[in-house]
Amino acid sequence: MIAKHDVLVVGAGCAGMRAALEAFDAGADVAMISKLHPTRSHSGAAEGGINAALGNAAEDNAEIHAYDTVKGSDYLGDQDAIEIFAEEAPGDIIQLENWGAFFSRREDGKLAQRPFGAAGSPRTVYAADITGHVLIQVLWEQVCKRDIPVYEEFFAWQLVEHEDRCQGVVCWDLLHGGLKTVGGKTVVLATGGAGRQYRVTTNAYACTGDGMAMALHAGLPLKDMEFMQFHPTTLYPTGILLTEGIRGEGGYLINKDGERFMKRYAPNALELASRDVVSRSEQTEIDEGRGIDGSVLLDMRHLGAERILERLPGSRELAMTYAGIDPIYDPVPVRPGAHYHMGGIETDNDGATEMTGLYAAGECACVSIHGANRLGGNSLMETITFGRRAGRSAAEWALSHTTVSVPESAERDAEARLRALLDRETGERPWKLREELGNSMLENFAVFRTEEGMTKQIEILGGLRERYPNVVVEDKGEVFNSDLTQAIELGNMLDTALCMVTAGVVRKESRGAHARPHDYPTRDDEKFLHHSITRWKDGGVELSTSEVRFTKWEPQERKY
Amino acid sequence: MSTKEAEPKRVAYYKGCLASLSAKELDTSTKALAPQVGLELLELESVTCCGAGDIHEAEPDYYVHLNARILAYAEATGCDTLMTVCNVCTLNLRQANFMLQGDSELLARVNENLATVGVPAYSGKVEVRHFLWEIAEGEGYERLKGAAHKGLKGLKVAPFYGCQILRPSKIMGFEDPDRPWSLERIIEACGGQSIDYPAKIKCCGFPIIAAREETALGEVIQPIEQALEAGADVMVTPCPLCHLSLDAWQQKLEASTGRAFGLPILHLAQLVGVAAGLEEAELKFKRHIVDPRPALERLEV
Amino acid sequence: MQVGLKVWRYDSGTGERALREYEIEAPEEATLLDCLDIVKDRHDGTLAYRKSCRMMICGSCGMRMDGAAVLACKTRMYDIAQGGRIPVISAMGNLPIVKDLVVDMDPFWSKFKAMWPWLEPGYDRPDDGREYRISQERMNVIHKESLCINCGCCVSECNAMESDPEFLGPQALAKGMRFVGDPRDGATVERLERYNQEHGIWDCTRCYFCNERCPKGVDPRDAIAKLGAESIRLGIDRDMGAKHAKWFVRSAETTGWLREEELIPKTQGYVSAIKQLKFGYSLAKHGKVRPVPVPHTAKDVNEARNLRKVVREQDRGGALGHVQGERALARLAHGHAGESLEEIYARPGAAPRPFLPGDAEGGAVSPPGAGGSADGASSVSEGSAQGQGSLTQADVTPGKEPTRKRGEA
Repeated sequence: MIAKHDVLVVGAGCAGMRAALEAFDAGADVAMISKLHPTRSHSGAAEGGINAALGNAAEDNAEIHAYDTVKGSDYLGDQDAIEIFAEEAPGDIIQLENWGAFFSRREDGKLAQRPFGAAGSPRTVYAADITGHVLIQVLWEQVCKRDIPVYEEFFAWQLVEHEDRCQGVVCWDLLHGGLKTVGGKTVVLATGGAGRQYRVTTNAYACTGDGMAMALHAGLPLKDMEFMQFHPTTLYPTGILLTEGIRGEGGYLINKDGERFMKRYAPNALELASRDVVSRSEQTEIDEGRGIDGSVLLDMRHLGAERILERLPGSRELAMTYAGIDPIYDPVPVRPGAHYHMGGIETDNDGATEMTGLYAAGECACVSIHGANRLGGNSLMETITFGRRAGRSAAEWALSHTTVSVPESAERDAEARLRALLDRETGERPWKLREELGNSMLENFAVFRTEEGMTKQIEILGGLRERYPNVVVEDKGEVFNSDLTQAIELGNMLDTALCMVTAGVVRKESRGAHARPHDYPTRDDEKFLHHSITRWKDGGVELSTSEVRFTKWEPQERKY
Repeated sequence: MSTKEAEPKRVAYYKGCLASLSAKELDTSTKALAPQVGLELLELESVTCCGAGDIHEAEPDYYVHLNARILAYAEATGCDTLMTVCNVCTLNLRQANFMLQGDSELLARVNENLATVGVPAYSGKVEVRHFLWEIAEGEGYERLKGAAHKGLKGLKVAPFYGCQILRPSKIMGFEDPDRPWSLERIIEACGGQSIDYPAKIKCCGFPIIAAREETALGEVIQPIEQALEAGADVMVTPCPLCHLSLDAWQQKLEASTGRAFGLPILHLAQLVGVAAGLEEAELKFKRHIVDPRPALERLEV
Repeated sequence: MQVGLKVWRYDSGTGERALREYEIEAPEEATLLDCLDIVKDRHDGTLAYRKSCRMMICGSCGMRMDGAAVLACKTRMYDIAQGGRIPVISAMGNLPIVKDLVVDMDPFWSKFKAMWPWLEPGYDRPDDGREYRISQERMNVIHKESLCINCGCCVSECNAMESDPEFLGPQALAKGMRFVGDPRDGATVERLERYNQEHGIWDCTRCYFCNERCPKGVDPRDAIAKLGAESIRLGIDRDMGAKHAKWFVRSAETTGWLREEELIPKTQGYVSAIKQLKFGYSLAKHGKVRPVPVPHTAKDVNEARNLRKVVREQDRGGALGHVQGERALARLAHGHAGESLEEIYARPGAAPRPFLPGDAEGGAVSPPGAGGSADGASSVSEGSAQGQGSLTQADVTPGKEPTRKRGEA
């Protein structure tokens, strides 16, 4: 053990940094571990905004926000969590502003808010189209102010469970090499999503589900893993995100004829229906031959150059760089791409997991406020509100308990796995498996799902998992061995993908992001109004269910 | 040489501070050379310093106005082009010009202020171009080839661009800031051999040479060292500030390193002037700290 | 497409450097980062470089291509490959190399942290517990600086830092301006005092490499100039660099032309300048300076003098003088000609114009801001007309908000 702290936060994106700040302010000795420098975290790529019912642009309140979120979740969100979320969000936004966040402003000097999909009021606070960047910067600034230590480019690999509680993390020191164990009275996982399981994704290379996999391998439950959000507007062919804010600002989705097809699918909300609805509509257009090269078109021409340059400069830059298209003159080809895991490590409303001393927040966690489908702008808000709550409860627990110890066996186990990987001289290179994973997940577990496809995908994943122990790491060195960490990441993605598809195949209904138009086209609240729970047992996935927590909203048909 | 002699191009000539004083040789050689490369210079008189990046830094609003005033007087000559002979003037004037051209409200406010002090209005129609650009392409280049009749007889010339004729490229816009070609083209057209070395697009240290001499000297040494290593007989630069830094501060480099560099630094108009047969009265090499005449002697043979 | 790359490999263990060449097959849309991935996956797993978002926001993949710092993920390879060029890829400059293309960013972050990179609120929190109100126009002063992703491309190329490794450098100073220019911040004077120290603002040699290389349009050199302007506005001008800059102003309004011969004494002080006498003599010998400086006065210099008086009364002091030009300068990079929507729809090869099902094809197109046909679904958002990235950010006028600055008491 190279060091110990009261609170150890793994991951330094918005949720991780927010948790660390809260734990620090609660008086705990806190440190962060991240495989990237904090400002490189993928929260920074969030574009459109962050939802809080400030009511600056139109009448709004926490109850409307909560209702929109419940409805958006297709009634799978836990309503007590959602109510906490909607109520605490405005205060969290004001705090970010006080810390110096550079949000866009209204004429009257208040924070500006823009309309977002499936929201009953313009509720999305934003900073042009670089909201995540602005949040990452302000949180990092506050981390610097408090001088919170960061174990930078430490690849967290394995939780230390000792005396029935979590007491630290075994890491690979990417920059200098070597296994390093950092102890913590409490550990907060804030490692983000796993979108890299898909070939077409908005996610960074770093989004490989490491935290989910660590929790899974430590015997903890992952909740609602079948719900993978496909974002409707990812740039063809790279999958790079173009913000929902483009549609919030008035952008159109058109098919090859120029038809604003959303009118046929969501006659009221049109382009601003919820993400699952828009992605399915696009996919239908593409599947029925009204797309162009597997895409539909996102048209901003009518917004005019001034508005595009003012509100959407980052999106224009992305389109110009990666598609060679200037959206002032031409519509941009987009298609649904893997974007966000609604599911994750099961936590309570304070971020606590089943394991004493272990907490989780942000995309890697599942509280759940997103249920079967997340609303745009709710994930950044979740990182802040639940990052704060997890940081607070982790600090409180840590400050009332005193010891940290890590048994030698913890590191020995990791060392053995490391050696097995590094000493293997021949075998398959990981990219082949990674490519097969990305392609097959996109084919069999994407916007539309079938029994046949999912069954096939379970077989494919089985095959890939059989081949995985034979992957070979070419770099045998200690310094910046990203060949090694990429191989470990592949294992994490394979195991979490297996949880997703296993949970998906037994959910014989269509709900939120889990759409089975051919065999189970409707929602079945009788049989499936419950969370799915996946655990790792004997090298495979064990399934169970848990109750959805209701407060005041009865399930209703969902129309936009 | 082009067969048909076109009318000379009339340009408003802004010589800037250094060519008015410490680098008078730049002014005399430019004026002597101009007719031979098809330029008729209308020297601006009611003008001041462009601010050299210092007024831009100290009082940016004043900087815009000072440069607007220069542009206004240039426009009043009826010329489309304001010709500069200094990198720093070029950047400052071009930058102010784009600020004014791209923002009608700013232009209106500036013009109102100019009127208050009795300066003619600026409509935004002047283009600021360095002498280098005038002779590196088009008619100027064609004339240059004819004018350089004496040739440089394979003289090894190290081109030194400096910074503010290349960067920021969105303001300068003449050539690829990382792979510039204009000086090389001119050197070759004059019968010289251009020497390549990495520091030719780097900084001469001049802007901080008075305030941070040590840091600046760490910059000046790079082009001098590299050019000599690559076999240069002389170095040429389009900027009198780079010139002053490379020529005058070379002795300090020699003192601090204990090495003898002795690399003569020529203004662009002087280098072309040598090839065009200008006399010492116009070239004024005696004003240089490192005397270029020994290096150029073999051209006389 | 076939892509060739030459990569400078570096092994920190042995200190060995080697230029390795790779020939790969890549899709036409491939970026430099994609190509490096192909090399690492299929040719040489030992190649080390940083990456993450691959969409030019995380700032991980700064490196040099043919000696110029770039974000690998922003660099499309098609034209280079088609042109038959084999670019040389190497680690960024001005930072120690760890392995291959990976540099040690510690010096970079130390300088970042030296800036006090956090807001010190200089306003009273509103009693209602809501946000502090301030106009977008006033916030737009730091619009460009807030775009910085800390990639290090500017630092890599900084000429002053090559010569003085302790120079705070373009990214740190741009971060400093992000707070100095923030009207909500209350520590302006303390910050400027700090940034005015040795290795600070006045070390910048104005090579403009930072502006040229910045992949996000931050223009760090301009940020440094803004810091200089704010320092001088607030009378923080003890540094020789500030005195140097002020002498140009003094020259312009007294003689019009730079009073060159007095520049060194005015910058360094007469005592220090005496040490330069020998140097001065050598310059005088060649007529560079005259033994007795007689001001050489520009014609109509009274205009320049009066102009300064007029300008100083107009509330565009300090950094605002820079900010007012940003709108126009941004246009240089935007490169659009201001066509009408009809002209855009009528361009050859244009995608079909949008229509709602039920309307005739090519029929009614809602004008911008008018929204779609149904319950305001595509209505445009509220907010000021001047968003971030604003084209109208030139209109920065000091607001009425009482921003109390410490040190201004």
